[in-house]
Amino acid sequence: MSSLQGYVDRERLMETLYVILSPVLYIDRVLVILQDGRVIVGTLAGYDQKSNVVLSDSKERVYSTDEPVEEIPLGLYLVKGDQIVLIGEIDSEKDASTDLSDVRAEPLPAIRY
Amino acid sequence: MLPLSLLNAAQNKPMLVELKNGETFNGHLVNCDNFMNITLREVYQTNPDGDRFWKLKECYIRGSTIKYLRIPDSLLDSVKDEQTRAREAGRSARGSHVSGAGNRGRGGPAHRARGGQTRGGPTRGRGRGRGA
Amino acid sequence: MLIFSVFKTLTDQTVIVELKNDLLITGVLKSVDQFLNIRLDNIQISDEVRHPHMIAVKNCFIRGSVVRYVQIPADAVDTQLLEDATRRGSRFCYKRCPKFPD
Repeated sequence: MSSLQGYVDRERLMETLYVILSPVLYIDRVLVILQDGRVIVGTLAGYDQKSNVVLSDSKERVYSTDEPVEEIPLGLYLVKGDQIVLIGEIDSEKDASTDLSDVRAEPLPAIRY
Repeated sequence: MLPLSLLNAAQNKPMLVELKNGETFNGHLVNCDNFMNITLREVYQTNPDGDRFWKLKECYIRGSTIKYLRIPDSLLDSVKDEQTRAREAGRSARGSHVSGAGNRGRGGPAHRARGGQTRGGPTRGRGRGRGA
Repeated sequence: MLIFSVFKTLTDQTVIVELKNDLLITGVLKSVDQFLNIRLDNIQISDEVRHPHMIAVKNCFIRGSVVRYVQIPADAVDTQLLEDATRRGSRFCYKRCPKFPD
């Protein structure tokens, strides 16, 4: 019983550490592409079997060919699974080293069946 | 944390729902189910172009037509707190006696009505078609 | 279900996934599930100049329903075995369905 208690406490410690560190280290920062072509970055706060996802501190990245990328804060978002095209894990170093104001690109096309 | 538990905890909270056809609905969540069918009250409906509005007293939205929901930020913390509390209650029930079961009720007072606004108003700010 | 099994034998192979938004993603197949959702590691977008959106993404989950094609290495599939399995599969279906004679 005591060893189990130790395990549970360790689990809680990890949880606490996670809560403290995740905003700093961008743990679980993900990039989500939706069927309409939108690109949203956020922290993956939850998901389920149907690939519905909860994103916290989420931002939409709006791409355009004649203006730099614009980030629009969206906050807490629940995206339905059937709208999702792709979920990518963001490499925080790589992301931090790309200056979005230098990036110009056409928006991603929507899914066409 | 499961998306549906977050939605369940969002009852009586303001939210923005966008449908697959681009229409948006701003209102307070009355109820929801596991298909994500929802009912909202005091609703502002906006057409896909964002230039026409309707006010509805109450509406029902079929879950399969929803693209996404925007929920007040504060809800994430209250759901997390709730879950921690539930886990601790379970643990102490298994261990010694349960104490202080009285302090339930999620979240603090006065949630700011975030998520109750459409991004950038009528133009919906997709960033496209910004004037030359 | 057969295709699901085929994909499972392809784990750790490099594949090219073409999505229904015309995006081409090359990567190492890490896992597949019953919906043919795909997990790719070490990904590379084929036209990164045109699509820099995922430059900071190293691995990803792709929803099966948006995949148009998966290009797989020819030598990673035993086509003879696959043909046999397909025939066996269809005979199995006929037997279970009384409308079709054996």
